Order: sequence, then structure tokens, then C-alpha cells
Amino acid sequence: MLNSLKLQDLRKKLSAAIDQRVRIITAGLGIDELRAVMRGDPPTERPNPRYKVHTTSFLFHIRPRYYERGSTIFAHTFRLGFFTTFAFAVETITGLILMIYYTPSPDEAYSSILNLMSNVPFGSMLRDIHRLGAEAMVIFTTLHMLRTFLTGSYKKDRSFTWLTGVILLGVTLLLSFSGYLLPWDQLAFWAVTIGTSMVEAAPVFGTEANLLLRGAPDIGAGGLLRFYLLHVVLVPLIAILVISIHYYKVAREHGISQPARIEEGKASPEQVKNAKQRVDFIPDLLTHEVFLTALGLFILVAAIAFNFYGGAPLEHIANPQQTPLDTKAPWYFWWLQGMLKLGDKTLMGIILPTIMVAVLVGIPYIDRNPHRSLFKRPWAVGLGLLATLAIVVLSYMGLPEYGIPTPAASRIIQDMAPEEGLGPLREVPFEQLQPGVYEVGQEVPNNLCPDLILGSDQPRGCPELTEVFKDYNDRIIRAATVTNLPKNERLPNVQAVMVIEDWQQDLRKVTMRIGWDDVDSAERKSYERHVYIHRDHGGE
Amino acid sequence: MSRVQIEIFLGTLLVLATGALIIVYGLGEEERMARLERQQQGQAIEVGAELYDNNCKGCHGPQGEGVPGLCPPLNDKYLFTDRMKDVGWSGSVEDYIVATVSSGRLTSTRPELYAGQGSPAMPAWSEDYAGPLRQDQIRNIAAFIMNWEPTAPDRRTEGGQLAGPPVGTDITIELPEGDTVNGEALANAKGCVGCHVSTPTGPAWSASEGTPGIADRSALRIEQADYNGTAETAEQYLLESIVLPKAYVVEGYLDNLMPANFGSTLTAQDAADIIAYMLTFK
Repeated sequence: MLNSLKLQDLRKKLSAAIDQRVRIITAGLGIDELRAVMRGDPPTERPNPRYKVHTTSFLFHIRPRYYERGSTIFAHTFRLGFFTTFAFAVETITGLILMIYYTPSPDEAYSSILNLMSNVPFGSMLRDIHRLGAEAMVIFTTLHMLRTFLTGSYKKDRSFTWLTGVILLGVTLLLSFSGYLLPWDQLAFWAVTIGTSMVEAAPVFGTEANLLLRGAPDIGAGGLLRFYLLHVVLVPLIAILVISIHYYKVAREHGISQPARIEEGKASPEQVKNAKQRVDFIPDLLTHEVFLTALGLFILVAAIAFNFYGGAPLEHIANPQQTPLDTKAPWYFWWLQGMLKLGDKTLMGIILPTIMVAVLVGIPYIDRNPHRSLFKRPWAVGLGLLATLAIVVLSYMGLPEYGIPTPAASRIIQDMAPEEGLGPLREVPFEQLQPGVYEVGQEVPNNLCPDLILGSDQPRGCPELTEVFKDYNDRIIRAATVTNLPKNERLPNVQAVMVIEDWQQDLRKVTMRIGWDDVDSAERKSYERHVYIHRDHGGE
Repeated sequence: MSRVQIEIFLGTLLVLATGALIIVYGLGEEERMARLERQQQGQAIEVGAELYDNNCKGCHGPQGEGVPGLCPPLNDKYLFTDRMKDVGWSGSVEDYIVATVSSGRLTSTRPELYAGQGSPAMPAWSEDYAGPLRQDQIRNIAAFIMNWEPTAPDRRTEGGQLAGPPVGTDITIELPEGDTVNGEALANAKGCVGCHVSTPTGPAWSASEGTPGIADRSALRIEQADYNGTAETAEQYLLESIVLPKAYVVEGYLDNLMPANFGSTLTAQDAADIIAYMLTFK
């Protein structure tokens, strides 16, 4: 009896002590309260200890105590702002780990990426997640902005928040673009060379700005270090600062907007009342955020593990002496590349984009229409959708396939075996690259190497090589025989060949040569390329 | 269940699933890293092959066979076995190649065998020594040269392996009947195709762009006014070109690229086979 009483006493004391510790750590929530939070039960004490946390805890003081129910409707926000922040957090964490393995110098950068991929466990995955996260961040930021525009949530006291949002869009693009150069491959080098050369076109201070970015007339060690420091220090610091301001305005000042139908009196009093109900941060919003985080991480990891995402590209090491045939900006700058095709570099690359940014910034001040509903502001919505469409069309025009005439011979060979990436020729299994001289002509045999036997379980001959050669053959014959093609796509009197040679152990050399009469000068011209293919090059 | 509970439950499931995915992915990580390393090596060889083609083949031959008297062969067993001992190099063969390519050779180390192309005997290729190539490019070239190791012939013993007496340099001898299939194999093995099929180093054998194939071309060559050799038939012209390459050099080609020693490294049958194969290019 006495013993058990003492035990009870001890238990009580112990639980009181633990409860006190827990309250200190959680800035006010006791054990029972935590349990109630996890179960979604109402608060166990009065005054509500869940609100106290927002004044006593640093991490929670920037979070709102509650949102109104109407503004948490999924179809209203799509959680785009949350996922942008989530992507930024993922980038920060993966980026910090990647920094361990990276050296920002032209001699070391590329090999440090190779080393990361082939010698660091989970190195490829980290790099892929960092890349995927960056693209996701650009997508979410843009969609977030589009959503805010369509729901009219940039008006009145939200106009400054909109401004910080426009800055964040720029910061996101800058983060992405500055990270682009770091692998120091051909893709990176030439995309950034083109990007910075646009800065050069700026009036008055163009040359100086370009020099400031590149550190020298051309991108080299200085430029790489500058882009690295921009990417890992300056731009992230700006991002953290502006995200904080942006978020604090939303969380502590004006909240997330209500759907327009609630605010503009279309809804019944019942609905309005319901929409104005408070949803507390603890536990509802918090558990929702933790759930979304788990979901986001799962999607990221699954995309990499199941290879839904092609993986971060890595081309050959940067070679300032060799301009690639097809240079391509990252997809979120295709619109800019498309604009550059339409006119002068200064006008299309500097002046118009500046005007576009000015319009974006000015939207809340230009658009004085007090209504938020889609139907009460047809001009704003119409122009917004038109602008979105324009960006999509411009992006299409930015593709290297659009509007850049390439001579037929180099185009065909480039499509067969591009300078970077695989292309159909490199995807042919190595064993099928049967040495021989294959001539282009009207008749192509159904199997180029009928005597080749690779194994009892394999088809006889080389079906995949035959397929690729037929494509090569067809395109050349078409260029030779169809006479109403544009001049640069024609190959009159063509003679073409594909030669495959055994070059070394596990190495074959493929030569593609096309000779033709030039349409204008009637001179004989020829173009040829040698492609070396190693058994382990990574095609299959 | 309340929404909070559902979200906690699903969130926990998702975290567990993510963890499981990472573990499963991690199980394949060793193999994936090994595969990526092989890929990187394969790509280094591809890049090295292209750089070799642009920079090295003029002296060391398209297939690394070298030029007798001038530049040492690189696809030679000796390089991969005893060369390091003979020069007292303590590092790997690959490092030796990188060092040699980077800084070149002021004078030949074996002047009686390979005198080199004047002074310096071999130019420096590294940017660090005023050459045109970056260090990573030189490493790629070394990776390409190292890939000859498994198939490199032993040239020190090869001379004695001829199946019969060498064909010599008399182009009027009666050659045996040639076999085109064996001729094609020989053309590959002896490195002929390296220069004479697709690269512009030597005249291409196949017909292209208005010029007939080597068979018809040979017959035309001996009729040409500037022809100063002694051949009277197409066959003799081809034999002359193989064993006495300097007797007549087609305009536009260098006279020191075709090895001059085929007269002693081919049998009469070999020569006949190769010529028979060449005569199939009409």
C-alpha cells in the first residue's frame, strides 16, 4: 500500500518534470496538449496554449496563428507558394551537400562533376534532385504568379507583396541561370556565353556590365568563380531576405486572399460565415504542411529512382574553341531566345525585357479595377492570357529547330549523330555496327549485314543499324530528288556514304560523307564527319 | 478520422515509402557508379580518338603504326611492356604518355630508329608549354593510346613471322592469284583503310564525286603526262605504290606518310590479295 503510493507519487513527479521540459522545448505545449494536437482534438488548456507558441517560439512567430477557411481551399491556391518554398529548401540542402564535392575552377569543375557521379554514393541522385528542384522552383514560381494574377490577389494592400513576388521571380531565374554554368560543360558554357553577351548589348554600360559578370572579355576562371559566388552566396541571401519579406506580409499582415466570390458578395451569408472561420495553424495547417513536405520529397525521390526524370544533363567539357551546332538556352529562357530571333539584340534582349518587367511590376498600379472576379475584369484577364500565350509561342520560336537554316548535309548528319547527347546512330547496339562501306542509293537492302550472327537469341543481321541507315538514306534521297525544297535543304547529284571501321578494341569509327552540287554556284561540295563510338559510351 | 489524423497517417506512410525507395536505390548504387565510370572511360576514349585524328595521326599514323625512320609506333607492344624500363620511367605508361605529349621532345630518344620531324623532334602539345591542347584533352588522348594495349602487335618479332619470302621492290614480278576477301582483311589489319577509305590523308580507294575508284584510276594514272614511275599495268602501278611509295606521289598528298617498308613486310601473296581487293573499287 505504502509502496504503491510512493510509486504513484514518483510517477506524478516524473511526469510533471517531463511535462515541464517538454513545455520549455515546445515553447508552451505540454504532453497532454501535444497528444491532443496529434489527434486533432481541441486545446486542453485555457488560454489556448497553441497561440502562445506564436509569440514564444522564433520559428513559429513568423507563422500565422490561423488562416480563414476560405483562403485554404485547395483549388484557390493549389499550394503553389508552399511548393516554391519547399523547392527552395530542397535546393539549399542538396546544394550545401553538392558544394562539398565541387571546385569552382575550369580545370577542376568538370572532373569534380564526373567524380561526383561515378565515385560518390548517391552523388547522381543529389545532382538530379538539385536539378529537378531548380526546374520545379521555376515552374511553381511562375504558376504562383499566374494564379495570383488570375484571382486578382495583387490588388490594394497586396500590391507591395506582388512587387516582392516579381523580384522573387527574377531571383529564381537568376539562381537557376547562375547554377547553369557550374558543371562547365558545353551546354553550360555556351548558354551562359550567349546570356552574358546579351548584357553586352545594353546601352551605355553594356561592355562594363559584361566584363563585371564574366571577369574577362570571355568566360574563364574569373567568370566561373563569379557565377559560383553569385549562385551559392549572393543570390540565395537576396532570396532568403525577399522570401522573408514576401511571406511575412502574407502571414502576418493581409493573409492569403479569400476567393473572389466570397469577398465580392456573390456568396450566401452562410458561405461567407463558413469561409471566415478560422483554421488554426496548430494543428491543422502545420500537419498539412508536414504532409505536403512528405509528399514533395516522395515525388522528388520517386522521379529520380524510377527515372521518370531524365536526369541532369552533362555534355562534353566546355571548349571555348568549338561552338556547338545547336546551342540552346534553358527552357525557361526559350522565349528570350525566340525574341532575339525577331530583331536586334539591344531592342529584343534588353529594352523589351526591361519593359516587360516594368509592366509586371506595375500591374497593381496600372490595373485600377477594384473587382477581383474573373468575369468583372475581362480586359485584365484577356491580356494576361494573351501574354501567357505569347510567351508559349515565343518559347516555341526559341527552339533551335525554328528559323535557323542549316545546310542539309550538316543537318542530316547532326541529326544522326549529334555533337552532344546520343542520337539514333549511337543508340544502335555496338555489336550491330558492322564494319563496312554502306552507300546511299535508291535501293536499300532489307538487312545491311545478313551474315551477322550475334547469338542464338538475337535476330540475324543488324536490324537497328539497317533502320538508322535507311533513315539516313531516305533523308538524303529526299533532299536529292524533291526539287521544291528551299535551296539550303537540297542536295542535287548527291553521293553519300556511311563507312564503319573497326578502330581499336571496343572502338569503332563511323564516317558519314555527303557530296553534292551547290544549288547556287553549281560547285561540288562535300561535308563529312567522323564519329567514334565506344562499346561503353552509355547508349544502351 | 479527422483530417489531421489522415494527414499524419499518409505523411508517415510517404516518409516510410521515401526511405524504402532510397534504400532500394542505394542497393544499386555500387553498380551504377561502376557503370558510370566505364561510360566516362569510354567517352574519354572517343574524345581522345577524335583529338588523335586531328593532331597526332600525321606523324604517328592513323592507326598508331608510326612512320619507320621518323616517328615511333604507338600501338606497339614494346610501349606497353619494356619501354618504361628502358627509359627509367617510374610511373605508369599513361602518365608517361601524358608527360611526353604535354612537353614534347626536344631531341629524339632513339635517333637511329625514329629521328622525329626536325627540331624539336616532337612539339609540346600542352597549353602550359605553348601548345594547343588543354590538360584534359591530353588525358583523353592518353586514354585512347592506352586502349591499344590489348591488341598491340609485337613489332620486334613480327618480321620473322612472314609466311613466305617478302615481295620485295621489283614491280615486274609475276604475282600469284589474289583473293579479295583476304585482301580486305589485310587492308584492315595493315592499316591501309585508315588513310585510304575515309580520311583525306591518302587518296581514297572508293569512287567519289566524279573520280572513279582506285582500279580504274590506276589505269588512268600511268597514262598521265606527269607520271614518272615505271609501271605499265594497273596492277604494277598498285604494287609500285605499295612497295615504292615515293616512285610517284599523287599531287596534293605528302610524300612521307605512306610507310616505305611494305616490300619487306608483305609476302607476294599478301600483295596480290590486297591488289585484288583494291581492283574491286571500280
